[in-house]
Amino acid sequence: MTSWIAIAPVLVAIVTGTVALLVRNWPRLQRAIAVSGTVVYAAVVGYLSWRVVFAADAGGILYQLGGLEAPFGIVLVADELSAFMLAITAIVAVYAVVFSVQFIDEQNQRVYYYPLFQFLLLGATGATLTGDLFNLFVWFEVMLMASYVFVAFYGNAQHTAAAVRYVVLNIVGSALMLLGIGGLYATTGTLNMADMAVQLSAPGAVTEPVVGLSALVFVTFSLKAGLAPFQFWVPSAYRAAPLPIVAVFAGATKKVGIYAIIRLYFTVFGDADVSATVPAVAGDTALAFLAPALLLMGLASILVGGFGAVSRDSLEELLAYSSIGQIGFIAVAVGIAAATTAGELRHLGIFAALIFALHHAVSKGLLFLSTGVIQDIAGTTKLSELGGLGDRSPVFASVFLVGGLSLVGIPPLAGFFGKLFVFDAATRQFAAATGDTTATAAAVLTLGVLFLGAVLTILYATRAWIETFWGSQSEAIRAGVVHDGQIAVLATLALVVLAIGVGFEPVYQFADAASDAALDTDGYIEIVGLGGETG
Amino acid sequence: MRTTARIVVPIILVVAISLFLQGHSLPGGGFIGGVLTVAAFTLIYVAYSLDYLEVGVLDREVDYDRQIGEHRTVTAYRRLFKFGLAVTVGSGLAALLFDEPFLSQDYEYVHLPLFGEIELASAVVFDIGIFCVVVGGLLTIFSVVGAE
Repeated sequence: MTSWIAIAPVLVAIVTGTVALLVRNWPRLQRAIAVSGTVVYAAVVGYLSWRVVFAADAGGILYQLGGLEAPFGIVLVADELSAFMLAITAIVAVYAVVFSVQFIDEQNQRVYYYPLFQFLLLGATGATLTGDLFNLFVWFEVMLMASYVFVAFYGNAQHTAAAVRYVVLNIVGSALMLLGIGGLYATTGTLNMADMAVQLSAPGAVTEPVVGLSALVFVTFSLKAGLAPFQFWVPSAYRAAPLPIVAVFAGATKKVGIYAIIRLYFTVFGDADVSATVPAVAGDTALAFLAPALLLMGLASILVGGFGAVSRDSLEELLAYSSIGQIGFIAVAVGIAAATTAGELRHLGIFAALIFALHHAVSKGLLFLSTGVIQDIAGTTKLSELGGLGDRSPVFASVFLVGGLSLVGIPPLAGFFGKLFVFDAATRQFAAATGDTTATAAAVLTLGVLFLGAVLTILYATRAWIETFWGSQSEAIRAGVVHDGQIAVLATLALVVLAIGVGFEPVYQFADAASDAALDTDGYIEIVGLGGETG
Repeated sequence: MRTTARIVVPIILVVAISLFLQGHSLPGGGFIGGVLTVAAFTLIYVAYSLDYLEVGVLDREVDYDRQIGEHRTVTAYRRLFKFGLAVTVGSGLAALLFDEPFLSQDYEYVHLPLFGEIELASAVVFDIGIFCVVVGGLLTIFSVVGAE
């Protein structure tokens, strides 16, 4: 099925960004355009998801740029997995932009804030929709360009230092990615992802180099996702960027890294037979090589993030470390899916990762935006200078509580299902490993670290809650002004977190379809229209 | 330095224009043409200083007290950047009006006296946009960073 709707989110973002840039001298108009553009974006994504997942004739949608056919032209592919990631991005983006209007002060809003916001959105959208490996790189760059500016946004020495670190790191990452993509092109002779999958699964295809080359690409993706040991840019960048943007970073752009891993390894390399032998790793697909790396990195992230968050003294850093830990949970779920050969468990792993990604985007988005509110009230986010906020604004306290409890994983909030499925996948891996000592040991280790991660989450969430909302009112809190508008916006987001948990059925259906799509290489090739004749 | 600039700049500009014009059918295009143009301008800046264009070529007064961000040429570059972006996006969207996919291009041969057959491609509009974005963006960056 070919339809314009697949490109619509990209168009909305690029047009809004451009128009917002052109009307820069009229701040009110610019703000109105930025907000309405983002709302339109969300509406378009909603319609796209409906067409792809829920409609009677639902199915993946293809769009050929410039009317050139795959594998020669560049295509956009909107399947269930892309739609799911877009939906996450859209929810976070709408809340971030509405909150920005109230949070970022007038002067700063005028410094290209909204055009950049739209281009950040554009990059994330393009990266999830594209069906072309080189274009994936280009969209990553679009996303990064905007995020560089945001990290350096406030322009102090500390922010500039964070930005320089961030830029250097990502340029190295991008160079590696380009190298990897170039190598894949040299090996398979194509950049179209579907065509690449066809070439790799063809009998007699040369697949050995793919393992090494894809490792280069994988490093970049995990750098963007902030997995340990590539997590060190996260805290300083998150502390430097404006808080609504941090919500988008944590909610949307990090998830693009995860998306890219799932798309590339499961959809594109999924069917490839790789006979190369790497010491200590057995297996005959690219996934088998990915699995141990991803599992270890995920587990390390959980530990680094968890222990980091417990020991930080400002709310922002606590949440930044918590983000690292939570991405670890997602990576472990994906790693479990990669490690197994059983279709059901693989499906469950991807499914758990997606649900957890959704939960993390909304819950952490809520918490980061809440940190913005606290910053506005108290002028600081240092835990030692906060306290007693619960007395000042009980409504805000309950909003934060929803976010915190969701992070911990209390039913019926969104986080409950996220954790539930990750643990479900881990226990099943344990159950499936009977008789094999190494596998059992790995499964036990995974379960243990997951459990420790969960305990640490409870610990730091409780600590953030107690030091901010309980106790006697600190000087900063007593003197601050509470903005009801901001809190009202966040209250609706808290309701979304609740709604995802309570009305879980459609979310389940959506994520189920998305993980089907992630594993269905043939379906993906079919959408692009390369099925049959080339294979 | 100035002698070199005097000889090299016209050559660079001519090459830039030729690359720009052949872009839709041969290697080249708005981006690389733009980058070369920027190279020419940068050479002038390095050899003659930032205000040479204002004072020497356009014969305008320069207000030295203003910050670089409000400098007249820099404002012009910024405007060029915005204009270019609008043209690029607009030319992509224009295809949608004709019920073609985004970014579709078309071309037509026009017969002009003296020149003979000339290929008039809609891709040129897109390339003009890209050219403006590259020139405007890079020169803004160079002027501002160079002033510090």
